[in-house]
Amino acid sequence: MDRDLLRQCLLYHGESLFNKLKCEQTENPDFQALASDLCKITSESRAEEPSCPLVEQFIARKADILFNPAWKTATSQREDLEEMEEAAEPYAIMPPLELFMEVPYEEKRSMVYRDLERGDIVVGRINNIREYGFFLTLLCMAGELKRDMEDLDLSALCHIKEIPSTGSHDDPLSYYQTGDFIRAVVKDIDRYQEKITVSLLPASLSPNLEGIKLGVITQEELPIHYSRALRASSDFNQTYGSILRSCHGYHNPCVVDYLLQKVRISDTHPPSMMRGLQSKLFKEEDFASSIRKKQSASWALKCVKAGVDHFKHGRHVEAMNEYNKALEIDTNNVEALVARGALYANKGSILKAITDFEQALESCPDHRNAKKYLCQTLVERGKQLEEQEKLVTAEGLYRRALSLDDKNLDAQDALRKITDTIQKSIRLREEALAKEQENVKTSESSAQKLRKILKEEKRMKKKKKRSASSSSSSSTSSRDSSSSSSSSSRRRSKKKKKKHKKSQRGGKHRRRLSSRDSKRSEEGKREKNGRKQKDEEEVEWYPAPQNTSATFLYQKGGPRFGDDDNGDDVQEHYNDEGKISQLYSLAAASEHEDSDSSRWERKRRESKSSRRRSTHSKSPKMEDRRRSQSKERRAKEGERGKEENRRNSDSKRRNSFEEYRKRKVSCSSIDSTEYSRKSSSQSEYSGYSASKHLEKRERYNPGKRNSFDGGRYEKEEWNKMQDISRGKQSRKDQGDDDDDDDDGGSRSAGGISKSSQNTGSQHAAAAKKDLPTNLLDIFHKIAEFEKEKGVGLKK
Amino acid sequence: MEAPSSHLSARGAPRWLLSGRRSSSSAGTECDTGRDMKTHFRVCRFIMEIGVKLGMRSVPVATACVLYHRFFERVNLAEYEPYLVAMSCVYLAGKVEEQHIRTRDIINVSHRYFNSGGAPLECDKEFWDLRDSVVQCEILILRQLSFQVSFEHPHKYLLHYMLSAKSLVNRHAWSRTPVTETSWALLRDCYHGSMCIRHSAQHIAIAMLYLALNSYGVELPVGEKPWWQVLCDDVTKEDIDAVITELLQLYDMEAKCI
Repeated sequence: MDRDLLRQCLLYHGESLFNKLKCEQTENPDFQALASDLCKITSESRAEEPSCPLVEQFIARKADILFNPAWKTATSQREDLEEMEEAAEPYAIMPPLELFMEVPYEEKRSMVYRDLERGDIVVGRINNIREYGFFLTLLCMAGELKRDMEDLDLSALCHIKEIPSTGSHDDPLSYYQTGDFIRAVVKDIDRYQEKITVSLLPASLSPNLEGIKLGVITQEELPIHYSRALRASSDFNQTYGSILRSCHGYHNPCVVDYLLQKVRISDTHPPSMMRGLQSKLFKEEDFASSIRKKQSASWALKCVKAGVDHFKHGRHVEAMNEYNKALEIDTNNVEALVARGALYANKGSILKAITDFEQALESCPDHRNAKKYLCQTLVERGKQLEEQEKLVTAEGLYRRALSLDDKNLDAQDALRKITDTIQKSIRLREEALAKEQENVKTSESSAQKLRKILKEEKRMKKKKKRSASSSSSSSTSSRDSSSSSSSSSRRRSKKKKKKHKKSQRGGKHRRRLSSRDSKRSEEGKREKNGRKQKDEEEVEWYPAPQNTSATFLYQKGGPRFGDDDNGDDVQEHYNDEGKISQLYSLAAASEHEDSDSSRWERKRRESKSSRRRSTHSKSPKMEDRRRSQSKERRAKEGERGKEENRRNSDSKRRNSFEEYRKRKVSCSSIDSTEYSRKSSSQSEYSGYSASKHLEKRERYNPGKRNSFDGGRYEKEEWNKMQDISRGKQSRKDQGDDDDDDDDGGSRSAGGISKSSQNTGSQHAAAAKKDLPTNLLDIFHKIAEFEKEKGVGLKK
Repeated sequence: MEAPSSHLSARGAPRWLLSGRRSSSSAGTECDTGRDMKTHFRVCRFIMEIGVKLGMRSVPVATACVLYHRFFERVNLAEYEPYLVAMSCVYLAGKVEEQHIRTRDIINVSHRYFNSGGAPLECDKEFWDLRDSVVQCEILILRQLSFQVSFEHPHKYLLHYMLSAKSLVNRHAWSRTPVTETSWALLRDCYHGSMCIRHSAQHIAIAMLYLALNSYGVELPVGEKPWWQVLCDDVTKEDIDAVITELLQLYDMEAKCI
């Protein structure tokens, strides 16, 4: 029992209470210990009139509760100053009660001196400024303690040392004027001489009030209770009750909760003087939440039982419904999860079953059935994966199953088997790898031979032409690849031929493309420069060999290179790939112009156009370059074998790369449909095309087709290229015309090629126009072009 | 409006619920106010206990008690099952005071109140019947009270008064004295009786504060007007004494009833 409290109470109530206490608290050892001490106090009691005996009776009976130190839940703590606006006050801030009570002046004054303490915040008005500081008339207090002090003539001194210097002024006092409202902190109180000193230095604030602005404040910053007190004292109609009801805070629906928190009373474990309602009597298991938990668990269990019953009778749907209901009632009910998992496993939904078992084990890690079932299900799943040849994953599952139950024979067996299989497969793979590498070498050599032969042929042709005319040499060089492929195609059936032509095209691009690709790393950012690229074009014809390790991936099919027409086979094969990859790149290119594939596309096209240009190019500059290139080539001819080797390996590398690309796109049906469309359009076109320029047109076709497929991007590309080639053409035309007559056929071919480019762009615009009309356009344009050229020459 | 109690008790109140009113049911038709008071005391204790177990705040519990007292102000105790009415009052009070409480929790906690330590109710017909009767009884209460179910409670008055009184007292003296806790406990306890419907909220709040201050011998400064007169204009010392006397009677009843 709190002795001080009891003493205070006894002083108030007198001896009669003490007698009643003695009577009621006979069995309380605490009181007995204090009784003799308290006896003396009662004699000092100043209770003149006997208080209500009923109240005394009550106090005496409930003394063990009232004076129990544990009764006091609120700890004494200095509260923070509440700076709030009137509109946002969470509870009604009332003027001091003594204002309405009309407490005598003297008593009020003594109360202030009694209760005012160092560190309190006061608000006052400056009434006098001296050289050693200024005097404040205290108006009110700004802290928790709300007192009516305005008419108490309380004066406080703020010494000059307690005023923070503003820096710009020599005299800090010059900043203050008589009549200013000042918020200050009480520094010292002399209760006997009734002297108060205040400070404006933030350092004198108590730590929990830090951040409060001291010094001059405006009228609006005066405490709310003070302004309300002012209003109340001027208007006698305003009573405590009416002010209370007019406050916003009073109508706050949460005011009770807010204030309970403020006075630190727990509303969930409320105090009571009733003996039967003492909070210690409430057991945790009687609370609603714990009962609900128990109940849910038992209800869920009931559902599980019903579900199991259904399951035993083969009514799986009903069983599942019951399990789901159980889990709805009690999420994470272990039994329900295990039962549902078992049902899933029975139904073949192994993954769902595993999830359920795992969840069950999460909340109950030692559940025997859950462990057992999970183990079995994992083995089951492992076997599934094994069938899908996901051996490593399956192995992981077996290992997990064994970690759950290391005596599970199935899992042990399965794990043993799978480790064997894995090791075996690794060995097999290694062997196959070694074999394939060998194969690659042999096939390479045979392919080399064929290549060499072909190459030789071409070179011979080229040399002949070159000796005749330098311009024609370039045209043959452009034709060489096509001639080789066409010659091979002749050997094939007609059905194949169609396909082959196309694949040729793709193959050519592809070859150039990939050679460029190999160069790209070396060339860096030059690739955007069209002319340079064109130059590279010829140089790149002989790329340096790169990593060939991936080739066996592609050549798994068999040693084709050993066959007689292996060259064709290979070419066709990778040509097809090239087409697909082209398609793929087209799809990608339509959006990202700067993406890799689009660059590829552009390059391919540019290389094509440059090649075309080179076919009928007459500029000496070009010629020179070409000659130097051919010189290079000739010089390189000594290392022909090496070259060929490189080429082959390069093509293989390419193939593997394309295989990868193909895999990427193979899932989409686009390639097949696209393919058929192309082939039809191509055949159509070739039907109309002049047989003389068949090869060339065939070469252009892909570009055109691209324009069909690629849409806007293609158009742009084409336009660009046309610009380039046009510029070149004009330069070339201006440059010299002596070769003009030499190679009329090639020129006309150039014209056609140009116009076909144009039509390509037109095609992009009017995508599905009939081809015959287009062709007419082409011829028209050829004619126009020739005319223009003639005019340009005259000038 | 004359819903027969036989209907309610037969359908809604199971045996464990009926056992709670042994004394009153044995009274038969004889109208004994003392006996009724005791029954009300027990039922209100029931409301407060399940209120704590349901995690209800003080104001919803007070509302439930006022609903209960107002209902039996109008009807004869013998005609209705008071515990069922109490359960419905708790349910309704939760709605009125925006602290919704689920019927399932109310039934669970009530069931455990009468069968302490027993297993929770099964989800069977008994449960659903009981749930139905709680909801039906709620409608009955609403109709009996003409749908006037929001009341002014002394709680916020008491808290505001307390803060005003606190400013009058030396802060150390105040923090040493658990006036806040005591007055709050007294206020909650006063709902055991029907004084909440016979006295105004302000009067009750003042009386609680008065008794709490008196119990610890805390003296407020004396002015022209006593502090309680300032807090509420129409309160007299007699009113305060009357409330206090009634409250103290309730404390005496605890020993007799429980």
